[in-house]
Amino acid sequence: MNIGSVSRLTLALGLSAVALSLITLVGLPTPLQTIAAIAVLILLPGHALARLTQVTDLALAALLVLALGLAALTAVSTAMFYLAVWSWQACIVSMGVITVLACMARARQEATT
Amino acid sequence: MTGTLEATTRTKERWKSRDVWCGLAGAVSLALAVGAASTVAVPVNSDLGLVAVLPFPFWVGVLLLNVAFVVALRGDAAGPARRPVMIWLTVVLVLVLFGTAAFATDVPRGEIAFRHLGIADALSHTQGIDPDIDGYFNWPGFFALLATVLQATGLDPVALALWAPVLNMGLWLAALAVLTGYLTRDPRRRWLALWLFCLGNWHDQDYLSPQAFGFFLHLVVIALLLGPLAARAPQFHGFRRADLAAWWRGRSPAEPRPGYRVGALVITLLLIIVIGASHQLTPFMLLIGVTALTLSGRVWPSRLPLITIVVLSLWLAYPASIPFRAPTPGRRWAGGGDRGERPRPRARDRRARARGAGPGRSHPCALWGSPPSAPGATGAEGVSISGWYCSPSPHCCSSPPRCTAGRCSSASHCSRCPSSRCRRARSCFPRTAANFLRSAANPPRQQTPLLPAPWANGLPRALTCVLLSVLTVTGRFGNARYDVFTHDEIDAVAAMQRLAPPGSAIISAAHPTPWRSEAYLDHRSRTIDDLCRSDLSTARCGPLVYDYARHNAAGAVLLITRSSEASLVLQGVPGAGGFSELEKWLSAQNGVELMFSNVDARVYRVTP
Repeated sequence: MNIGSVSRLTLALGLSAVALSLITLVGLPTPLQTIAAIAVLILLPGHALARLTQVTDLALAALLVLALGLAALTAVSTAMFYLAVWSWQACIVSMGVITVLACMARARQEATT
Repeated sequence: MTGTLEATTRTKERWKSRDVWCGLAGAVSLALAVGAASTVAVPVNSDLGLVAVLPFPFWVGVLLLNVAFVVALRGDAAGPARRPVMIWLTVVLVLVLFGTAAFATDVPRGEIAFRHLGIADALSHTQGIDPDIDGYFNWPGFFALLATVLQATGLDPVALALWAPVLNMGLWLAALAVLTGYLTRDPRRRWLALWLFCLGNWHDQDYLSPQAFGFFLHLVVIALLLGPLAARAPQFHGFRRADLAAWWRGRSPAEPRPGYRVGALVITLLLIIVIGASHQLTPFMLLIGVTALTLSGRVWPSRLPLITIVVLSLWLAYPASIPFRAPTPGRRWAGGGDRGERPRPRARDRRARARGAGPGRSHPCALWGSPPSAPGATGAEGVSISGWYCSPSPHCCSSPPRCTAGRCSSASHCSRCPSSRCRRARSCFPRTAANFLRSAANPPRQQTPLLPAPWANGLPRALTCVLLSVLTVTGRFGNARYDVFTHDEIDAVAAMQRLAPPGSAIISAAHPTPWRSEAYLDHRSRTIDDLCRSDLSTARCGPLVYDYARHNAAGAVLLITRSSEASLVLQGVPGAGGFSELEKWLSAQNGVELMFSNVDARVYRVTP
């Protein structure tokens, strides 16, 4: 895979997911923690997953960011509860990993096209 | 249905003075409404609720906002006002209509949002799910999400519950905006649909709840079905088998990119699974919507209803019914038991559960036939079928099990859900199957605009919108006398939770009581209304309450609040004129002691 063919947005999404996950795990003052956690739990994974589809409609893409982010977090946290391994830190890590994996899949798409 | 009109857009044009004035009018409306609502003093001592105590500037703001919207919608020959102006006015409407109570007080309305916070809190403490607890733990998806978000973000749970109606309405409108984009390209129709959606949402089901979350995902699924997963149906010729087969085989996908369709289908499946894990009734409403759209030939993946049934059946068969065997550390069972120790059910209970009659193990199907007191069984969402949109949130009225013979079976929502609304919900559906299939299969390609460009008769429409706004505020906040709590009541609840020993029972006069947001699993909770049923007289009810409290191993804590008394009075419960006589009788009994008191509440401790 040619790294040069990967879009900046894909790289930025993956890197910011890693960085924000670490920052959120370390802890921030309340308003910043809220923003960072919402980004890493909902917005970044939602955006990364929505970009895997070929959606071109901006309104639908924005809606999918929210819906996919919330749905993915619900699925992950529910599964963790059923497996009795839940912690909010584990959820942060899981959503960060999902974002990075989605970015890698997107990068492969971009490299092939 | 998806036939489009020639699109009119103002996006690339410059700002006009009318747009600026409309935007300013929205700002002034917001300032007037917020300023007026913030002057309301709680408790609200009117049987009409907030509508009777909101000062006139609030209504001036509502009037101005609706007039500004009608003017902006009318626009000029090129179309309505610019998109930012229309979005701004819609945001203001949501804040004014759904944030009114939040501007008046910083305590969330109603009891159920507090309970939902308690369930999320219990989940985050136990870190596991035990479906034996109650129905909420059979559909834990939303609560798992809530627990994660609250813990990770550090958000104040009460603040989240307070603003949840505004947040939920924003999510619904976002989904509906995309959905209507697939139904018409006429911006006037789309904005009017969003406006009427806000004005028609009287049901007050937008609090912090699984059904509100499920309804958002439901709308997203419908948007995906009408968008990337849509199909073009050929001419419908009749119901003969050959005609039907030819019509069905003649469908073609509206979206030419197979990869996009596959992606949309995967997202749809994920959303269906999450909806199924989050709420009892929403998946059934979704199944009805998906099936209707598929049978009308509007959806390309024809097996989607079958997949939905399989997902729903699997959830009902396993996570919602079978006890989960994983350890649930830190759980304290209601009514006694040590921390982390799971008591063995008695033989009688085991036999009852085997018959499906156990208190926490009844099969979910039983919920459909159970009384309306089944926890969490108060929501089902509206369905958008082939262009008819049936009420923004008809949680009881459009749901068959909740609405029979023009009456809603949920007592707690009857006051908000008149029979006329049920009839209206039914009337949304086409009268015959033939008409339905014909209308769905043969959408008019050249539609006549419903809203002509120079939108005449603006004044009647503005007045209609104002009237609907007043009705919305009346309907949503009509119970403010008992579902808007004071700080004194919240203090009393906190004192009750502090005073209640582990394993003790907590007793309130009636619903709603803003309790159980903490230590959800630690106490058995009852209300005097439940214990005494039809007769609240001291002679009969006093001994019942006292015996119940004394016979609990760890005793009980009794809470009497102003709002619960008002609730009983408004419900017309006999003997609910006040609890002063009952309190006097209880105070004279052995082991009963007044532990906390303020203007709006008293807390009694009953030792065993």
